[in-house]
Amino acid sequence: MSASIVEAFLARIYVDADAREKFLSNPTAEARAAGLSPEEVEAVTQIDRVGLELFAASLERKRHRNHSN
Amino acid sequence: MAARAVVDVEEDAVAVEADRFGLGWRPPLALGILSNLDRIDVVEVIADDFFNAPRRQRRALKTLAAQVPVTLHGVSLGLASSVAVDRRRLELTARLCEEIRPLSWSEHLAFVRGGGIEIGHLAAPPRCDETIEGALKNLSFAHTIVGIAPQVENIATLIDPPLSRYDEATWVSEIIRNSESDLLLDLHNLHANATNFGFHPMDLISRIPSRRVRGIHLAGGKWVGKGNVRRVLDDHLHDVPDPVYALLEEIGARTEPGLTIILERDGDFPSIECLLDQLDRAREALARGRARALRREVAA
Repeated sequence: MSASIVEAFLARIYVDADAREKFLSNPTAEARAAGLSPEEVEAVTQIDRVGLELFAASLERKRHRNHSN
Repeated sequence: MAARAVVDVEEDAVAVEADRFGLGWRPPLALGILSNLDRIDVVEVIADDFFNAPRRQRRALKTLAAQVPVTLHGVSLGLASSVAVDRRRLELTARLCEEIRPLSWSEHLAFVRGGGIEIGHLAAPPRCDETIEGALKNLSFAHTIVGIAPQVENIATLIDPPLSRYDEATWVSEIIRNSESDLLLDLHNLHANATNFGFHPMDLISRIPSRRVRGIHLAGGKWVGKGNVRRVLDDHLHDVPDPVYALLEEIGARTEPGLTIILERDGDFPSIECLLDQLDRAREALARGRARALRREVAA
């Protein structure tokens, strides 16, 4: 596994709503474009979508809270 | 007051190390904490809040540490990553440790950035050999730079980390068994993950050598999501729920005294009395577990 590439990819889809939407619309193409290996591409197409949305929403709420503090 | 455990050995009572109970240091709680040091054995300070703090604030922290034992807790190192931990942050941690001489310092088994993007929170990395190896390298480097091995904390996650080969219990126990770092076991994080992903929290607890559990975090959270896709979010904004006290009792039955138990609260602050009551419940839960272990020992 190219772990640093995977971590960069996950960081992007966690915090960037546009990147996340594009990924969820076409996971295979987006994961390939990010440089993930074929095995990694296959694995991220099975991503926990519910968890991804909930985690992204919690990050957004946290950012909003920090900015308003 | 710390709950002292006493073990009878051939009619001699031998006092052993005390468990310590305390609160996370947050500015809105400062007055309440300082006014109740007879009920608080230790405070946990967020290290990152003081990395770039002016000398005046660091002096204040030193004054605090002279009044009450302090533990340091980091949130931004990103130790469980294939990417090397930032030396500068470790040096700042080392400087703080030098200044306030904490009982211990700790960080999370998380990654917090990738490809130049700051996630802004703790994220669970893929649970695989690469991140175990990366965590072990980072823990070794952190030990070298700071001079003390960090305790490492299990994190809560809303997403089942993609590209994982191992379950959480296997991944965490591999890191603990192959490093010098003891576990800061966050029981609400464990409760949340167990609830969200359908495993039994005792599975993780039973896989960690009990002598390697040295710290405990307690907190609360809430349900997020809708319908049958709800999950528990560890938000530190709510009271400690009953299942977490039940887990603490199990910890009491399995570990030796000398634990540091910290109640974390990050907002929606209730009265200090409410937080102290939760600490009292934690003392009672741990004591029940300790008593069970003692009865078992006597019966054996």
